[in-house]
Amino acid sequence: MIEIDNISKRYGTFQVLTECSTNVAKGEVVVVCGPSGSGKSTLVKTINGLEPIDTGDIRVDGQSVGGRRTNLSQLRSKVGMVFQNFELFPHLSVLENLTIAQIKVLKRDKDDATDRGLKYLERVGLKLHAEKYPGQLSGGQQQRAAIARALCMDPICMLFDEPTSALDPEMVSEVLDVMVQLASEGTTMMCVTHEMGFARKVADRVIFMDHGRILEDTSKEEFFGNVAARTDRAKQFLGRILHH
Amino acid sequence: MSNTYKWDWGIFLQPVSTGEPANYLDWLLAGLQNTVILALSSSVIALFLGVAMGILRCAPNRWLASIGAIYVAFFRNVPVIVQLFAWYFVVPEILPTSMGTWIKQLPSMTQMMVLSTMCLGLYMAARVCEHIRAGLSTLPRGQLLAATALGLTLSQGYRYVLLPVALRVAIPPLTSELINVFKNSAVVSTIGLLDLSAQSQQLAEYTGQPYESFLAATLIYIVINWIVMIVMHRVERRVQLHGYLGSK
Amino acid sequence: MDILQAISKSLPALADGMVITLKITAVSVVVGIAWGAALAVMRLSPVKPLAWFAQAYVMLVRSVPLVMVLLWFFLMVPQLIQSLFGLSPRTDIRLVSAMVAFSLFEAAYYSEIIRAGIQAVSRGQLSAAYALGMSYLTAMRLIVLPQAMRAAVPALLTQGIVLFQDTSLVYVIGLADFFRTSKNIADRDGTTVAMILFAGAVYLTISLLASAGVKALQKGRRSFEVI
Repeated sequence: MIEIDNISKRYGTFQVLTECSTNVAKGEVVVVCGPSGSGKSTLVKTINGLEPIDTGDIRVDGQSVGGRRTNLSQLRSKVGMVFQNFELFPHLSVLENLTIAQIKVLKRDKDDATDRGLKYLERVGLKLHAEKYPGQLSGGQQQRAAIARALCMDPICMLFDEPTSALDPEMVSEVLDVMVQLASEGTTMMCVTHEMGFARKVADRVIFMDHGRILEDTSKEEFFGNVAARTDRAKQFLGRILHH
Repeated sequence: MSNTYKWDWGIFLQPVSTGEPANYLDWLLAGLQNTVILALSSSVIALFLGVAMGILRCAPNRWLASIGAIYVAFFRNVPVIVQLFAWYFVVPEILPTSMGTWIKQLPSMTQMMVLSTMCLGLYMAARVCEHIRAGLSTLPRGQLLAATALGLTLSQGYRYVLLPVALRVAIPPLTSELINVFKNSAVVSTIGLLDLSAQSQQLAEYTGQPYESFLAATLIYIVINWIVMIVMHRVERRVQLHGYLGSK
Repeated sequence: MDILQAISKSLPALADGMVITLKITAVSVVVGIAWGAALAVMRLSPVKPLAWFAQAYVMLVRSVPLVMVLLWFFLMVPQLIQSLFGLSPRTDIRLVSAMVAFSLFEAAYYSEIIRAGIQAVSRGQLSAAYALGMSYLTAMRLIVLPQAMRAAVPALLTQGIVLFQDTSLVYVIGLADFFRTSKNIADRDGTTVAMILFAGAVYLTISLLASAGVKALQKGRRSFEVI
C-alpha cells in the first residue's frame, strides 16, 4: 500500500531524513516512535507529499508521490491525514468541515456528502455536534471530528501525526478508542505517536527513528518483547518511556 | 495609447522656452531639490515633535495623555491637502496681525516652503507619535522602575533608558514615514510650490511630452524610495542591540 | 452670519462634491480589496512569475506619490477609453480615471493588509486542506482567505478611511470632489478661510465617526468569538 524507498530530505544544512526505507501493507497498522526531532512527523508528511523529498521514491497504491504524471490532489484525497493540532477549519461548522472536501475535491453532491458526514460523525460519537463550530468543541471532540473528516474521503490508508500530543490527558483515551476501533476494522494505518500502550495493543509493526534514520523496523512482539536484541538507542528510548 | 505620440527623450537637454539659461532637466532637478529640502526639514520637525507627543501619550497623567491623543486624532483625520491649504490660506489670517503680516510679506517661494514644511512636519509628527508610543509600549515596565530606583529622574529615565530602545524598535515604521513624507510632499504642487511633481507637470506642458516628463519624475521618486530604504537599513544595523527584537 | 449663509447657499454644490468623493471611495474600496486579495494570493503562490509580478507591483506602487499616479491615469485613461470605445473626451473621464487610479493604487496597500492576514492563518490549515486533496487555489479560496479576510476587516476598513481622505487629492486633476468644490466656492465668494475650515471639519467629523464605528465593530466581534 505504502512503499517508502530510500528517501532523504534536508532543510538547508539540516539533514531531516536519511535513507529511510519501509513499507506498510494493506490492513497493517504501523506505529512510528522516537525522540523529538527524529524526523518521524516529517516522514509521515512525505507520504502525501506535504513535505517534498530530495532523493528516493514513495509509492502509494502503486502511484509515485513525486511522479510528474501523478495527480497529487487526487492522491491526497485517497490518503487520510490527522494532525497534531486537529486543524479543523474554524469558520465552518463541524458538518461543513466533513463535507467541504467531499464536495469540492471528490465532486460528490451535497446530500450524499452530508449523509456520509453524519454517518462518520455518529461513528466517532459526535452526531449531536454536527452544527457546532470547532471553537465550541473540546480538544478530544475536535480530534475525533478531524478523524471523521479524513474518513469521509473513504481513504485507502490513514496517516496520524501525533494525534494525541496536543490533548489534555483525560481526552486522550476517547481519541485512542476511535483509533483502536479503526485498526480492528482492518484500516491501513501509519501512526506517529508516543502512546506505547496504543502501540502494544493494535500495532502490527513498530518503527523507531532517531536523527532522521530508521533504526528499528520490526514486529510489535519483537520490539517490545525482545528488548535485548534492540539497538542501543532504542533500548534507551524504551527504558525511559516504559517507566511511566 | 494614441499611436501618433512621438517619444522624444531629448527634451531634457533642450533649453527651456521661457528664455532662462536652463534646460528642462534643470527644472526637474530644481523640483527635486525642493522635494528633498521639504521632506528632510519636515522630518526633523516631525521627529522632535513626534517623540515629544509620543512620550506625552504614555504619560500617567490623564490630561497630558489626552493632549497627545487629541493631537493625533486631529492631524490624522484631516486630509493632508486640506491641512496644507489651511496653513497657506488660513494661518496667515488667524495669527496675530504682526506675525500674519510678516508671513505674507515673505517672498512667495520662502512663504510656501515655510508653510509647507510646517504642514508636513506636523502631519508627520502625528504618525511618528504613534510609532514612538508603540515602541515605548514594547518595553518592560520594569525598565523605568529600575531607572528611578537608581535615582534617575523621569526625564533622565526617558532620555537614557527608554527612548534609546524605543527609537531603535521604531526604526522600521519610522522608515516608512520617511518614505511617506517624500511622497506626501507632492501635495505642495497644489499651492504652486514647484516640487518634483509640479515640475513634471511643467515639463509636460512646456514640451508637450507628458509621458517622458512623468516617467522621469516617477523614476526619480522610485530611486529616492530605494535610497531611503538602503540608508535606513544601514542605520538600523549600526544601532542594533544584540539579542533584541529581530537583530541578527 | 454671512459665512453660514454662504455655506448653506452652496450646500447643493457641496453635496454634489461629496457624492463624487463617496463614489470614488466606494468603487476604489471594492475594486481595491478584490484586486488586493488577488495580488496577495499571487504573492504567496507557488507559481514564481506570479509571485514576482505581485511583489513588483506592490513595491512599485508604494514608492510613487498618489499625486503622480493620479496624473498618470488622467493622462492615460482618456486616451485608452478613446481608442477602446471611440468616445470623445468628456468631464466624466476625470471621475473614471480617478476611480481607476485609486483602485489600482489602493490595491497595493490592501494586498499588504490581506497578505498579513493570510500569513496569520496557521500553516496547518493549508496543510489540512492540501491533505484533503484541495489545490492551492481551492484551499486559498475556501479555507485560508475566509479566515484571513475576517481577521483583516478592521485594518481594511481603516484603510478605507484613509482612502476617503486621500480622494481629496483629485484636486490635481481638477475633479470637483468635495474639497475642490469647497475651494471653488471659496474662490467665487471670497470666503476662503471659512470654506477651508468647514471642509476640514467635515472630513474630520466623518473620519472620526467612521473610526469610532470600526472600533465598535471590533469590540462587537471580539465578544462574539469568545462564546
